[in-house]
Amino acid sequence: MAIKKDLSVNYLGVKCQNPFFLSSSPVGGNYDMVRKCYETGWAGCFFKTVGIFVADECSPRFDQTNKEGLPWLGFKNMEQISDKPTEQNFEYIYRLVRDYPEHVTVATIMGSSEEEWKQLAKMCDEAGVPLIEGNFSCPQMTSHDMGSDVGTNNELVEKYARAVTSVTDIPFIAKMTPNCKNMEEHARAAIKGGAAAVSAINTIKSITNLDFENMTAMPVVNGKSSISGYSGAAVKPIALRFCTQVQQDEEIHKLVKEKGFDFGYGHEMSGIGGIETWRDAAEFLAVGCRTVQVTTAIMQYGYRIVEDMISGLSHFMDERGFDNLDQFIGCALPNIIPAEELNRDFRLLPKFDDKKCVGCGRCYVSCYDAAHQAIDWNEKKRRPELNDNCVGCHLCLNVCPVQGCITPGEIQWKEGREPVDVKFKKEYI
Amino acid sequence: MSKVVKAKYTAEAVAGFTHRTAMEEAARCLLCHDAPCSQGCPAGTDPAKFIRSIRFRNVKGAAETIRENNILGGSCARVCPYDRLCEEACSRCGIDKPIQIGKLQRYAIEQEKVFKMKILKAPAKKKAAKVACVGAGPASLAAAAELAKAGYRVTIFEREEKAGGVLTYGIVPSRLPQAVVDHDIAQVKGLGVKFEFGKEVKAADLEEYDAVFVGTGLWGANLPKIEGIELAGVYSAVDFLKAARTQKNAFDPGKKVLVVGGGDVAVDCAVTAKLLGAEDVKIVYRRTLEEAPGNMTEFQYALTLGIGITTGMAPAAIKGADKVEAVEFKGFRDEAAQLVLSADTIVFATGQTAEDQTAVAPVKVADKGLIKAPKGKAGGKFFAAGDIVNGGKTVVEAVAAGKEAADAMIAYLEKKGVK
Repeated sequence: MAIKKDLSVNYLGVKCQNPFFLSSSPVGGNYDMVRKCYETGWAGCFFKTVGIFVADECSPRFDQTNKEGLPWLGFKNMEQISDKPTEQNFEYIYRLVRDYPEHVTVATIMGSSEEEWKQLAKMCDEAGVPLIEGNFSCPQMTSHDMGSDVGTNNELVEKYARAVTSVTDIPFIAKMTPNCKNMEEHARAAIKGGAAAVSAINTIKSITNLDFENMTAMPVVNGKSSISGYSGAAVKPIALRFCTQVQQDEEIHKLVKEKGFDFGYGHEMSGIGGIETWRDAAEFLAVGCRTVQVTTAIMQYGYRIVEDMISGLSHFMDERGFDNLDQFIGCALPNIIPAEELNRDFRLLPKFDDKKCVGCGRCYVSCYDAAHQAIDWNEKKRRPELNDNCVGCHLCLNVCPVQGCITPGEIQWKEGREPVDVKFKKEYI
Repeated sequence: MSKVVKAKYTAEAVAGFTHRTAMEEAARCLLCHDAPCSQGCPAGTDPAKFIRSIRFRNVKGAAETIRENNILGGSCARVCPYDRLCEEACSRCGIDKPIQIGKLQRYAIEQEKVFKMKILKAPAKKKAAKVACVGAGPASLAAAAELAKAGYRVTIFEREEKAGGVLTYGIVPSRLPQAVVDHDIAQVKGLGVKFEFGKEVKAADLEEYDAVFVGTGLWGANLPKIEGIELAGVYSAVDFLKAARTQKNAFDPGKKVLVVGGGDVAVDCAVTAKLLGAEDVKIVYRRTLEEAPGNMTEFQYALTLGIGITTGMAPAAIKGADKVEAVEFKGFRDEAAQLVLSADTIVFATGQTAEDQTAVAPVKVADKGLIKAPKGKAGGKFFAAGDIVNGGKTVVEAVAAGKEAADAMIAYLEKKGVK
């Protein structure tokens, strides 16, 4: 029998079957798409952003980056918010809320003025959605009154959050842009304005590739191109950083409490950025996100990826003895600390398994050319030999193509430093 | 019942890489320090370097590395026994399976053609010395290319109508398409090497040349002296493959074909017969498959075409009124073993022999009529390499030996002072 675990979470007072949501994007842009995603197992959907503004899109509008034959390492899109009439979008949303009460249909909205934000918030109220998300973060809008230009302006963020929450009691989530210096101040502004929580990250302003046929960036639109949002696996490290910093910000948790949006979990972050597998999702949960949102991986592989997210996360919980996600959410946060607080008293030397080694010499090349010339190359045996220059940087371990060949070995204490019990990673796969 | 592959005689059996699949394969490469694969290539094609070029999106650089080191890079990419050369040396074998080096080489050379690259250039100022190469097979082509690159004026004499030797008249085109051979030869021509076809060279023709390379190969049939060997339907491998390659689909191999031998040539004959419409093709080899000199992947390909392989039996007599009707085999080591098979055709792929080389040039001849030429030197202004020296080995070894002989010729000409 396939494993069954309770993956449900309470998110801003709304019960969710699991933490897996579609993020506001083309993957959830009409009734039938969202119906299919729910039937596949997604707990909810942040519906493609609805505005009074109806987008007029360019063609083509996507590009992807790759490395060594691996496609879709990162993905660039030039789409804006929904290109469907506002009324039609709310009609879809209304029907989804009515037909799928067990699922969480979130309306994501974007206005270009206080009035528009209010108007959209009222329409959300009428459609009966349990949650509203405000898109303060799309980096490729054709108007500077919308998108990431607004999201990096604390005054506008607060003002528009207030506009929304002045006309509805539905919890409001502000979607943040990573195109900022630090996200915490913008998140605080949103919550001050009445937002219950933030979600992040939206896409990163990018140029993925240059096209030398037309001497412009990709994708090529009539010989020209524009800077636009980057997403996918490549942005996950950046997304995790922002989510961690927001969740580590005491002020944000305090503001949420003051505003009456503490449902017992402090600030309830929704994590977005490069999630493809249950493991990626679990990483966002570990840094304190209560739900996660996915688009790029669905664009590449379809809704079905949620099946392995549900199963994989269930097996993980089973392995670790977690009965519910609340036992796990946020548990890595205390262990991510400022660089100045790390123990710097020891060197963890690498250990080489001569039997597993295939003699490629990559550790030798990288150590010589990019580290500390700490590996001698035994030409006859075609094997690396560690010398006294090693600083324990583990570049060798990271370039070795053989699983389990180079592993952490001896702990060497720097002169005059006090030995303590050292925790280190033992398993690399 | 197994699924049997149906293929055309002139269609290449294995599909090549696209840009994407080549990148995927190149990404598997461990990019070794002091790479064992490069040490494993007799001709010094340097796979580690060209794979790294592909990996770092420099396919033109990859093509340059191949072409500069191995003038027959396209052909070698198809016919090299990789599994016992570079791919056997590949470090990745320690993890799972080697990089498909041959296919990556093929991809790079295909791109050379796509981009219409002209990689090799001969110096505009030619040296005074004139050089002749006898035979237009792999060793001669390799020697001629090296000499032309060094600025010598080279003429290749070939008695057939086309250049390539075994590449053109031997190997089955499903393994080595003629277009690939022609593309390789075009590189030699591009260096300004002259070809004289239909010319059976005599010693007197070579007097005017300052140095002569003999790369005549092995084209004599090696037929056993058994009953019925004179019957119609008996072929040597050389004659059989040549007839097929020149007549193509017009060639009738017979309905029931037996091929005697255990090398790649035997497999080529069997595959040729099958692809040209023979109903039942069998390879019969006197020793075990383990002892067979042929490449296992070639035997496997033969099996996928539905060709049978029988070992331990040697031909004893060929029966028939005026043409082959049946062949009697006896156990090679097993005295009790006996086998009679009906056949229309029997092909002997049991090695080739040397023709009389002393008629071509005043060279020293050893056992079996092979030319004695240590490091390519056959005495005085004469040099030799390839099958006619080594008794019949691989194309890549002929290229390597041809290059080595060319170096010896350049050293000889420089010492002699012919500028």
